[in-house]
Amino acid sequence: MPFITVRDLTIEYSSGGYAVRPIDKLNLDLQSGELVLLLGASGSGKTTLLSAFASLLTPESGTIQVGDLDVTSLRGKERVRYRRDGVGIVFQAFNLVPSLTARENVMVPLRGARRTRSTARRRAEELLAMVDLGERARHRPADLSGGEQQRVAIARALALDPPLVLADEPTAHLDYVQVDSVLHILRELAQPGRAVIVATHDERLLPLADRIVELTPRAPGEARPPERVLLEPGEVLFRQGDPGELVYVVESGAIEIVRERADGAEELLDVVEPSGYFGELAPMFGLRRSATARAGAERTVLIGMTLREFRAQRAEAAPTS
Amino acid sequence: MLTVTVRDLQYRYRRFLIGVLITALVFGVAFIFDGVKNAVRNEATRIVDVFGADAWVVTADSPGSFLSTKVVPASLSQQVASSPGVERAAPVILGRTTLPLHSPLDVNLVGYVPRDLGAPPVTEGREVRRPGEMVVGSGVDLDVGDRLDLSGVRVRVVGRADGLRFLFGTPTVFVSLQDAQAMQFDGQPLATAVPVVGKPQSLPPGLVARSGPAAVSDLRRVIKGGIDTIDFVSLLMWLTTVGIIGSVIYLAALERTRDFAVLGAIGVPRRQVVGGLVLEALFLAVLSAVLALPISYFVSLGLVFPAEVGATEVFRLFAVAIVVGLLASLAAVRKAFTADPALAFQGA
Repeated sequence: MPFITVRDLTIEYSSGGYAVRPIDKLNLDLQSGELVLLLGASGSGKTTLLSAFASLLTPESGTIQVGDLDVTSLRGKERVRYRRDGVGIVFQAFNLVPSLTARENVMVPLRGARRTRSTARRRAEELLAMVDLGERARHRPADLSGGEQQRVAIARALALDPPLVLADEPTAHLDYVQVDSVLHILRELAQPGRAVIVATHDERLLPLADRIVELTPRAPGEARPPERVLLEPGEVLFRQGDPGELVYVVESGAIEIVRERADGAEELLDVVEPSGYFGELAPMFGLRRSATARAGAERTVLIGMTLREFRAQRAEAAPTS
Repeated sequence: MLTVTVRDLQYRYRRFLIGVLITALVFGVAFIFDGVKNAVRNEATRIVDVFGADAWVVTADSPGSFLSTKVVPASLSQQVASSPGVERAAPVILGRTTLPLHSPLDVNLVGYVPRDLGAPPVTEGREVRRPGEMVVGSGVDLDVGDRLDLSGVRVRVVGRADGLRFLFGTPTVFVSLQDAQAMQFDGQPLATAVPVVGKPQSLPPGLVARSGPAAVSDLRRVIKGGIDTIDFVSLLMWLTTVGIIGSVIYLAALERTRDFAVLGAIGVPRRQVVGGLVLEALFLAVLSAVLALPISYFVSLGLVFPAEVGATEVFRLFAVAIVVGLLASLAAVRKAFTADPALAFQGA
């Protein structure tokens, strides 16, 4: 039985008045002891997914099951308890409390969980020693290097020995010397009884991973012949938030490009007419579709092609001097 | 979470110190205001007590007893004294005059029958025994033996008494009834009131007896506007302290929004975070109150008459400080409550 099960997870939020759906019907099974990389470009939904694992946001639909617990159904005190006992988080920007020493930062979740001061102190010292910072326990974050701060953050995440550790871009602010020790510790954290999920776009982490979950749809590298698509009036070609692989050129009819607003309304952005093209940005930058494309009031014929094919055709069509 | 509170206070100590010093200054001044208010309220009781009267006999149409503007023949006091229930009665004049010092000084004038009702407790020299003599209260820069012309009457200071100011700290001088009649009524044998010891059962027509507390109320009515102003200014000062401490705590809370989000994200209950903020505000307010005490001493040195503060006022100061601390923490508490834990995932 999987340690973590994600089923039909859809997360949607409003950005600039438009509905954004970075995670759309995601299914995932993760095993205990695994180190999983969530790989993807900025905006691909890595951090959003981590937030959902941490029960910091409520998804639009779908479930996340950690062990026997349905994380997506948690509310109020249960949610606070899960965040405290069930998950440890390592943030991109370390997020240590600047007024506290390294040891006190590690003690925060322990004291929050009503551990006695002496117990919390002992545990914090153990964890700091584990991340090789025993000698720096009395230093404040400002006196620590980025790597040291990140190791303190890892120690804090482990304070209550959670079964799930989440790390958001843990190497983003570290130089290559500091990265080494942080990666080493993250790898060691993935043990039976615990899963480690790391969101990153740093491909140096790939060799560490037991599994890689790509959140950015990659354009297929192999050649693929252009395909003709016939749409009935009003039929949708692709929806906002879908992965994007092909560029489309309109042969006949017309395509309406509409954007879904957060309030459910639609905004017509453009109408693409014969010989016009659209949809090139998603495959070019590995993004999801930023708008919905559908046929206008008449039957529409399109040619869908890879970015490479599209570029080749445009080059041929360009006038030569 | 006490550690987080203490460490935050240490971390931002310069800002907190500035806030505490300014608040302590305002607290100190407000505390002294409280003392001034006490002093002007208590002076009414003290001056009325000097007469040792159970009742004050005045004309029936007089609006007040102590500050009556109506006069009665001084000889009426003999009829009053012989009324049933009256043990003792003596005419007095309660008025105002100006002492011709280097800088003219407005004073309250009390004319009384020497060795009778109205003799002040003298702390230096002796009391008035005959016309031409005067006892001065605090705030009059005259020594025993000094002489001066007062409204055409030559008087010599024979004694000094402590305090005995009234009407918002105005100093008081005591002369014989005869001198007071000369100064106020061109020598006519009149009086403004007849304080009595005992309970008059019946009085000559046109006269009424008013109680001692009514005399105190009479005096306090005159200073009510001043007291209300002090109360209003005090309220503004307390509100100012709420603003000062509130701003300091709120600015700290704004800087700590990420911290609140992180604490929420790692499962620290919100009430613990909020409790820490309230504790900080309370600590700053109470510390300000402590510092306000020595500050108020130095502020009081500049007062014309002493403020009267005691355990009750100190207790009130700390009670107000606690209320100020609680109110001051509200905006910051709201900030902490609304900090979305998901913010913790935002980049640096």
